[in-house]
Amino acid sequence: MDVKHPLSIQQPMQLQEPPAAASQNPNPPSSTDAPPKQVALAMERLGQASRLIADVRLGADRLLEALFIAAVPHQRNKPLQLFVKEDASMRQHLQDLRSVGRQLEESGVLNETLRSRSNSWGLHLPVVCPDGAVVAYAWKRQLAGQAGASAVDRTRLALKAFTDQKRRFFPHLDEGQDVQSTEPASKKHCTSKDLWLNYQEELSDCKTLSDILTRLEKEMLNLKVLTYERLDWFKRASSLPASASENPLDTSKDHGFHSLSKLRTVSQSAAATDKIAIIELFFPSVFRAIISLHPAGSIDPDAVAFFSPDEFFLTLSLGDDSGWSGCLVWKTSKYYKSEFDSNLDAQLHFVDNMFPFIRQQGGSYIHARGFSVHHVFRKISEHAAMALQHFLGVSSRTALYSIVHWICCYQTLFTKVCSKCGKLLAMDRKSLLLLPPVYRPYRHFSTLQIASTQNNSLAKDQGLENLGAFHIGCFTEEL
Amino acid sequence: MGSALATQRRNNHQSLAPELPRDFLGISLPEQPNKYYFIIRGQRIVLEADSSIQTIMEKLQSYKSRVALYFEGFQYQLGDFQLRVGKVTPTHSDNLRGIIMEVEYLPLSSLEKSRQVMEEFVDIWQEAISKRSLPGHFMHIEPSFVEYGLSDHYSSQHTAVQYATVMAQLIATQSVQAARN
Repeated sequence: MDVKHPLSIQQPMQLQEPPAAASQNPNPPSSTDAPPKQVALAMERLGQASRLIADVRLGADRLLEALFIAAVPHQRNKPLQLFVKEDASMRQHLQDLRSVGRQLEESGVLNETLRSRSNSWGLHLPVVCPDGAVVAYAWKRQLAGQAGASAVDRTRLALKAFTDQKRRFFPHLDEGQDVQSTEPASKKHCTSKDLWLNYQEELSDCKTLSDILTRLEKEMLNLKVLTYERLDWFKRASSLPASASENPLDTSKDHGFHSLSKLRTVSQSAAATDKIAIIELFFPSVFRAIISLHPAGSIDPDAVAFFSPDEFFLTLSLGDDSGWSGCLVWKTSKYYKSEFDSNLDAQLHFVDNMFPFIRQQGGSYIHARGFSVHHVFRKISEHAAMALQHFLGVSSRTALYSIVHWICCYQTLFTKVCSKCGKLLAMDRKSLLLLPPVYRPYRHFSTLQIASTQNNSLAKDQGLENLGAFHIGCFTEEL
Repeated sequence: MGSALATQRRNNHQSLAPELPRDFLGISLPEQPNKYYFIIRGQRIVLEADSSIQTIMEKLQSYKSRVALYFEGFQYQLGDFQLRVGKVTPTHSDNLRGIIMEVEYLPLSSLEKSRQVMEEFVDIWQEAISKRSLPGHFMHIEPSFVEYGLSDHYSSQHTAVQYATVMAQLIATQSVQAARN
């Protein structure tokens, strides 16, 4: 079993930082500040916001943990104390988050004008990771780009004015010359632009989440698509995996999760579709991919991760609170004994005896920002994150459609040989691991999609096979 | 860590049921300390039982142990592959009967899906070994799991069946060599 969570000693240090920082800077940024300073301030505040969000998430985890402990008999005061403590710190975090948000609005980072501009530029909200790191490239670009954009605008206006005047006063110079477009670079892409427009039209019926998933289920054989609200996913992830022979859809019926077929038949499903935040793509015996949507119910994916189909949903963490960890281990192992299958039973038995200080936590690392314990799926998750950013950058409207179809290319993960070297397993020099071809190219994925949609006789499965598969060492960026 | 495998031969009591098997294989695996596995190759039967069955069998005295082998060695991790390499020795002596290597591909549990990956790994391994000029060579015999009633999803019962096949192979080659000498 992997030890996944950091030691809990570290958390208290983080708790104290954000409140101090938030109260220090109450004055709004002056409009005379140069754009770089505004950018720096905005970045700093975004950083604070992301740390607060991470703290809120941890606080939520701890509350759920306290609930878990409370469910175990013989625990009296501990859960109550934990609840009270967590409640106070959660409220403080949320308060701080609100004030940071207000500051960001005042500085112009979060108000409506910027949001509408961001859509037209195809830029997106920053990705906030569970450890508090902010991937803010798009925002930074946007904020810095404000300064750049004004220079470009001015130049463009100047050029337009010049050509207008030239045409007016020197008409003889214009004869035999086509009117120059102000964006000569776009000429190269005009043919692909036509194709692109056709592609967008083609997908105009795939505007809603259920459209996309319905279409996907029709096109892909062997694929099981399941959707969840965010809290439902946590519940499922914390329970034990069904045995392989059990149909995952049967499991979902037992536990009351929403499966896509259920969404279609139940009449009050419209509300449920609005809250879908997690999509699970399950290729039995091959892999399980989790996509997170933000906001819930939209078609904007914000994270993706791959896992083994049988990966355990339970994590073990090192317990630091010596006061109650010993008691909890004993109780927990008795509690779980009846539910675990024999293999896990033996392993936990072994773990309990060898490491009495390990606290078994009902958490999970299986989510859209988690990492698998297996190297092969970790590499794919990293590659998928880049592919997702690419698809979002190309067009946010079709991003979900693209990423979902791109993920389906991985059904041949353990059977398709590398398109470059012709072998299935290859040693990756950097990590010294034997891996199958874990890379699937994504840059021209849309073009291939267009080709396959136009050629109706080709089944989607076959169309995607032309994509090619590559080992890490065999993959080059131009692909 | 090691696995222990024993063949048991039926005691010559007055038997009322002549179709009882003459011998069977019993195996215990390190990853399943609470289990004991019985395999009857002739009838393609594999049975998973609690490890206390061994004491019951001793008390019943209907079978006695004939040959017992101990598979002992080291475990290595190579990325997503887990390897166990060890020597095969009879329980109370040090004669080397053979070398065993167990390869496990951790991300998958499906026999069908992992077949290509496993075969390629073994090819790479054989190639690496061939450069070392060791006496003997590794042989892999895949038992027909379907005949034992096992599914595509890998389990410890599959492991038990594979070990039984290996054991039979060892005994067969041993007796051929003895006959030659």
